Amino acid sequence: MNEVKKIDYADDGQFCSGHVACAGCAEALAMRVILNSVGQNAVGVVSPSCSAVILGGHPLSSARIPFLHGTLESAAASASGIKRALRAQGKDDTTVLCFAGDGGTYDIGLQALSSAAERNEDILYVCFDNEGYMNTGGQKSSSTPSGAVTGSTPLGKATQKKNLIEILAAHRIPYIATVSPSHLNDMAAKMDKAKAIRGTKVIIVLIPCLPGWGVADHAAVSTARLAVESGVFPLLEIEDGLRTRMHPEHKIRPIDAYLAQQKRYRHLSEADRAALQAEVDANWARLSAQAAL
Amino acid sequence: MNDLTSPLWTNLTSRERITGTWRSALPNYQNQPSPCLNACPVNGRIAEWIGQVKKGDTKGAFVTLADNNPFPAIAGRICHHPCETACNRNELDETVGICSLERFVGDAALDQGWGFPAPPAELAQSVAVVGGGPAGLSAAYQLRRYGFRVSLYESKSALGGLMRWGIPAYRLERAVLDGEIARITAMGVDVHLNAEVGDADALAALRREHDAVYLATGASLPKKLPTLDYAAGWVVDSAEFLAAPADQQSARTGDHVLVIGGGSAAMDVARTARRLGRTVTVLTLEPEGSLPAQKVEVDEAAEEAIRFVSGAMLQSAEAGDGAVTLNCIRVAFSKGERPGAFRVDPVAGSEFALSVHTVIPAIGQDADLQRWAGLLEATGPVIAAGKDWQTSTPGIYAGGDVASMARFVTQAVGMGKEAAHAIARALAPDIARAVPAELPEVGYDRINIAYQEPHGRTHQRLTEVAERLTTFDEVQQPLSADEAKSEADRCFSCGSCIYCDNCYFYCPDMAIARLGENGYEVDPDYCKGCGLCVAECPTGSIHMAKDDNA
Ligand SMILES: Cc1cc2nc3c(=O)[nH]c(=O)nc-3n(C[C@H](O)[C@H](O)[C@H](O)COP(=O)(O)OP(=O)(O)OC[C@H]3O[C@@H](n4cnc5c(N)ncnc54)[C@H](O)[C@@H]3O)c2cc1C
Ligand SMILES: Cc1ncc(C[n+]2csc(CCOP(=O)(O)OP(=O)(O)O)c2C)c(N)n1
Ligand code: SF4
Ligand code: SF4
Ligand code: SF4
Ligand SMILES: [Mg+2]
Repeated sequence: MNEVKKIDYADDGQFCSGHVACAGCAEALAMRVILNSVGQNAVGVVSPSCSAVILGGHPLSSARIPFLHGTLESAAASASGIKRALRAQGKDDTTVLCFAGDGGTYDIGLQALSSAAERNEDILYVCFDNEGYMNTGGQKSSSTPSGAVTGSTPLGKATQKKNLIEILAAHRIPYIATVSPSHLNDMAAKMDKAKAIRGTKVIIVLIPCLPGWGVADHAAVSTARLAVESGVFPLLEIEDGLRTRMHPEHKIRPIDAYLAQQKRYRHLSEADRAALQAEVDANWARLSAQAAL
Repeated sequence: MNDLTSPLWTNLTSRERITGTWRSALPNYQNQPSPCLNACPVNGRIAEWIGQVKKGDTKGAFVTLADNNPFPAIAGRICHHPCETACNRNELDETVGICSLERFVGDAALDQGWGFPAPPAELAQSVAVVGGGPAGLSAAYQLRRYGFRVSLYESKSALGGLMRWGIPAYRLERAVLDGEIARITAMGVDVHLNAEVGDADALAALRREHDAVYLATGASLPKKLPTLDYAAGWVVDSAEFLAAPADQQSARTGDHVLVIGGGSAAMDVARTARRLGRTVTVLTLEPEGSLPAQKVEVDEAAEEAIRFVSGAMLQSAEAGDGAVTLNCIRVAFSKGERPGAFRVDPVAGSEFALSVHTVIPAIGQDADLQRWAGLLEATGPVIAAGKDWQTSTPGIYAGGDVASMARFVTQAVGMGKEAAHAIARALAPDIARAVPAELPEVGYDRINIAYQEPHGRTHQRLTEVAERLTTFDEVQQPLSADEAKSEADRCFSCGSCIYCDNCYFYCPDMAIARLGENGYEVDPDYCKGCGLCVAECPTGSIHMAKDDNA
């Protein structure tokens, strides 16, 4: 009962050393789990983002599967086309994967994703949500949470993080899940589940961006863990846009420790922090009610 | 992986890039000492043997324990356990019950009859050990493990020292004491009982006959209160009282016994007298809550209806017919600089009297330095011994109560062990154990608490008070196997790798390889030095070391 629970997915070498992610980057850590879960029979599309940088550097690739480097607007559309082409060739069992950032998902690629979701295209869409345009130097996106400082919101963002999960749920796609680099078994299990489902699957991965959020090189995992434990980033699954499951079912701490690990929240006043806490509490209460249905 | 050769396609993996050059620090796997190990008087590898208990390997745990202490069942009962005070788990909820786990392992070893292996080879050199208490027995054990010939001289009729003649059976069952001593003598110790080494000449003769001598004669002289007439029939010496069989103890004590002193020995005298059906009062200089005895001893004594008169001093005693009147006064007590030093100031007008039948002073023992005068120098109240426990006479080593004011069984065991290794370094340097390297301690900040859940400690049960007072049976009951497993699971394994693979899985650069039984290896070509592996290690078994070679 008190034993350290082992991480038990198998690393088959689908993601390679020598990539150029920042030292300590949780996105590379998550890509390791995701690519090994997806396996060899897969084709990927990646939109301009940190993941494109981590995967690439032509002619080298850190992935063992082919990736098409597309445009920021079109990841879901490109993936849809690839899936249909594969199906026409009788290769329907090949997984088509999308890697995109939050900018390429919440903002610039939303139209393509919405269309693919509406058509329930058989794609596995992974959004690496580092809450900003990070490989271009750290500007805000619609995923940046309220209060967070970015290069383009020097006083802290005035509006809330866009609720992409509810937008996606409204499309009634078969599977939506959130995963965190602090919970690798959960991430691997949700990937396995998503892989087995036909239709549009979206996985949102929380990525504490080291330079973007002002987090220490060794602290991406602990920051993500605090986000989960404080309810800032609930781990959930939504099936068919209707059935919500949360795990863990309880948040166990206030947001203070989470905020304290990040420079982007350093300027917050007591009142700002209380407002953020209230936002987290309200979101959690709404989700819990949804999960109880 | 793909066989497309057009320059439009990627054709090599990123492993061509040696990103290890980015690094300025490299993780280093090293099992470093836990706070419990450093606090333990025998420096037992606690994280390691508790890890073995976790896995159900009780025999392995015994072997690890016995490397530093041949008395796990004894220590598991009566050690003052500074390890538990130092335990990192205190910061999360409550200390790991190290001592109760040690007893669990020690009891299993006795039940299963596990013994100690014969030495790898018999050596020609011989060592004389004088005194068969914990210090002498520990030294004899470690010396026999090397293969030295060991002759042990003990003035009494049985081995054990104060573990036999001081600590009562209700805290340390005699079968346990006998069992753990027999395991040592079975290694081939040449034991001489009723063999007092009388004086400095006799000791010097032993030195000539042997390649080294270890002196562990304890502290046998009772400290005396000037206000008491020790010749009076109603005054009983505490050491004699505790060493005597129960019928003689009964014969020497009246209905109401006053014990003077607040240490372990005083508690033992008081609780023994209670078991003989006496009314018992304990008079201590120290105020309530700061007695030198262990807290559990004081608590258990209080449960047994022993009355404490604390923060007071005896001024004079008058024998009347049948009863003795003791004139006492309240005192202000303050601790001195040195351990054991103190100062008392009587509070004017606070005089009071007690009426009792027997007085047993138990205020401590002094080492007999006079006996060795001319041969061994003293520092203060003990025989002088250097870092390697060698006395002023080369080849004569000393330890335990005779050479130290750290007066606990496991302290004596630790000193005996250290002296044995020092003797081995002098006599057989090739095979002797080196002085362990000083490594930084794994503090609480190096334990990743995310992998631990708060979980209260499982305490040992005590027998009911009414039942306790009718026998000399042990009060503390052992942990069951399930309880021991659950308690062992609470240990963070500070500084002791548990092969959880966290470091392997949390590396974003796949720079850590698993080598099975040989642990893990960092690939310097790809490690960027982020420190995630260190941060996510639950046990503090890796640390970042500066790396200028990258
Ligand atoms: C009543 C009491 C209770 C205690 N309770 C605890 C406890 O709960 N926990 C704890 O950790 N510590 C306890 N202690 C302290 C602990 O017992 C001692 O610190 C420890 O036993 C010292 O070990 P030692 O080997 O140095 O000496 P001893 O145990 O005193 O052994 C010395 C041995 O040398 C023999 N000897 C002496 N002179 C000669 C000679 N000239 N020739 C041959 N042999 C000789 C003696 O007969 C004796 O067997 C207690 C002490 C007392 C008095
Ligand atoms: C239409 C368009 N606008 C701008 C860019 C420049 N651009 C490339 S990546 C990027 C940031 C993308 O942010 P996000 O999707 O969150 O990925 P991250 O870098 O944070 O991983 C931008 C703005 C572009 N490629 N296309
Ligand atoms: S948690 Fe275990 S290893 Fe760490 S100090 Fe406590 S008993 Fe020792
Ligand atoms: S996690 Fe990997 S890259 Fe980071 S310090 Fe450890 S071995 Fe090096
Ligand atoms: S993370 Fe686990 S396997 Fe790695 S050093 Fe720490 S305890 Fe050992
Ligand atoms: Mg982004």
